[in-house]
Amino acid sequence: MSEFLKFDTLSLHAGQTVDPVYGARAAPIYQTTSYVFPDTDTASSIFNLERGGHAYSRITNPTVGVLEQRIAALEGGSAAVCTASGMAATFCAITAILGQGDHIVASTQMYGGNISLMKNTLPRFGITTTFFDPTDIDACRNAIRDNTRLIYGELIGNPGLDILDLEAIANIGAEHHIPFMVDATFNTPYLCRCLDYGANMTIHSVTKWMGGHGNAIGGVVVDGGNFDWGASDKYPTITAPYAPFSGINLWEEFGPSAFATRIRAEAMRDIGPSMSPMNAFLLLQGIETLSLRMDRHMSNTAAMLEFLQNHEQVSWVNHPNLPGHRSHRLAQKYLPKGAGSIISFGVKGGRDAGKAFIENVELASHLANVGDAKTLVIHPATTTHSRIDAGALQAAGITEDMVRLSVGLEDIADIKADFETGFRAAARLAKG
Amino acid sequence: MYFDVKGKRVFATTGGKPFDNSKPVVIFLAGSGGDHTFWGLHARFFAFRKYSVLCPDAPGHTHSAGPALGSIEALADWLNEVVTALDIKDLSIVAHSQGCLVALEYASRFPHKLRSMSLITSGLATPVNDYLLKAANDNPAAAVDMMISWGFGPAGHLHQGPIPGNSIARVGYTTMWRNSPRALAADLHACNDYRNGKAAAAAVQCPVQVIIAGKDRMAPAKATATLVEHLPDPVVARISESGHMLPLEVPDQCRTLLKDFIFLHNPASQA
Repeated sequence: MSEFLKFDTLSLHAGQTVDPVYGARAAPIYQTTSYVFPDTDTASSIFNLERGGHAYSRITNPTVGVLEQRIAALEGGSAAVCTASGMAATFCAITAILGQGDHIVASTQMYGGNISLMKNTLPRFGITTTFFDPTDIDACRNAIRDNTRLIYGELIGNPGLDILDLEAIANIGAEHHIPFMVDATFNTPYLCRCLDYGANMTIHSVTKWMGGHGNAIGGVVVDGGNFDWGASDKYPTITAPYAPFSGINLWEEFGPSAFATRIRAEAMRDIGPSMSPMNAFLLLQGIETLSLRMDRHMSNTAAMLEFLQNHEQVSWVNHPNLPGHRSHRLAQKYLPKGAGSIISFGVKGGRDAGKAFIENVELASHLANVGDAKTLVIHPATTTHSRIDAGALQAAGITEDMVRLSVGLEDIADIKADFETGFRAAARLAKG
Repeated sequence: MYFDVKGKRVFATTGGKPFDNSKPVVIFLAGSGGDHTFWGLHARFFAFRKYSVLCPDAPGHTHSAGPALGSIEALADWLNEVVTALDIKDLSIVAHSQGCLVALEYASRFPHKLRSMSLITSGLATPVNDYLLKAANDNPAAAVDMMISWGFGPAGHLHQGPIPGNSIARVGYTTMWRNSPRALAADLHACNDYRNGKAAAAAVQCPVQVIIAGKDRMAPAKATATLVEHLPDPVVARISESGHMLPLEVPDQCRTLLKDFIFLHNPASQA
């Protein structure tokens, strides 16, 4: 029988060759801009994509390379490219294949930055987007146009937490020969490997659960290697000669890693949103314990769901693991270990009560991030999604009383006690 | 590029330079279930050093028209048709695994244009275990899993690789998987049925290089020793830390060996 290394082993070892000089067990931090070439032939062959190797850290770096190969291994992708942030990953991935006149079909339930990118920024470069309700597969299908070149969504929608039906969307992509890119930040490959369900590429803000410690910003694009770029003439950036590299045809020469190679050869070289080696090192430390942390995130999330559902100061609770959630069936299918550690809930008393709650919790931090080891809370309507118009806010399922909770790894009794303090303050306000 | 061989479309990459039969030509032959992408780095190296390069997809593989051919002898005939169709004059063959059996058979029957032959991780024969053969017929996904698991050494299993960010094992897996499911089955049956290795090796007339992988689970030491024993004066090299997928696992060391050998025996103008 075949034997492959398992997830936890790959989390610790994938992509790393033990330092051959000093035997360092941890991945060394190669804090250098550039690399000495042993001879001119080696130098020219690296620049001409005849051999692997490093020339300049904007494009590749040994520490970042370990992280890239580790994430590719965990995701089941053929290659990965790390970037300075999750948003940089999204921008690089989209512009690697789309240009003037092209069109995206994207979910309405996404991080506010993704929506803003597609609604405000990309149109300036001639790329337009039609948004669809992620629970309405027909809406996705009907949004496809002749110039559609990408379907994009988040598996666990932010912040409404609706689950994207990966296989159904992938089938629509396959019917129209359009790649399907998934922002998998909220699930991580531990909870769901989207490529296994037909997605063609994944994006992560590795700042979040992958890194898990709130100490480094980073992003990654994973090439699933499973899209036939050559089956049509829709994707010339992959299938036509690329002048800066002697007219190389990336699809012919790199096959399953052609998309990642395009990002490396173009975005990292011409735009340059590279990840720092120090950040790569910190993120590697986080990934080493990804499964352990995610299991704890899930058990604490289950406990908080029970706590919040039974609390008299809570008007509603939203999470795909709850039987009443409209994506519950899809959550059971795609996320059997748990549908992430984000919970949204309403505080009785509306906007002011929500504000009182957030200002009176002490252990939970009020900040604009998710996926930290520490418990975080925020009010999306006035922060992360504040730049989105009222219609888009409603489409994303955001209400004024909504608090978004990112459940951390603290002792669950301490999180509950902290929330009781916040709820008491909200109750005092409600009583006047 | 695409070209026709007896009315059937054949795809081959040329290392980023147009094919030119006035130059010395290096043909790269992949192993079972493989295709042109197996040779990306190596092909580009030679193409940019005044060789003309051809990495063909065998019939029924990836971009070449099918069906897949069912025997090593048929594949050797097809290779001769490729060489004839493109009017290749000075030829070096670099072959991996099953490709080595095709190269041996070709060399023994069509020796006149062959200047050198480099055989990587192969024996004189490639008996395939029944479990893998059955899986290739009935459960291609399981067969691809076995090929990748047994094919790669430690670097592959740890998803390392010479190209930053690339997992060589996943690239190999995806390459094999995107092939027609019948391609791998046809290849494995062709390997398993081949019996002429000893006679073919004895008939080889050109200089031969044999590259052995120290952690090869598909062509283990005993098999490669038999190949070396029956070839006339082969140049033998061993890379101890590699598994069977040596050109992907240790491409820099592999390229150095190929370069030294091919530059010597089939020189281009700068070599």
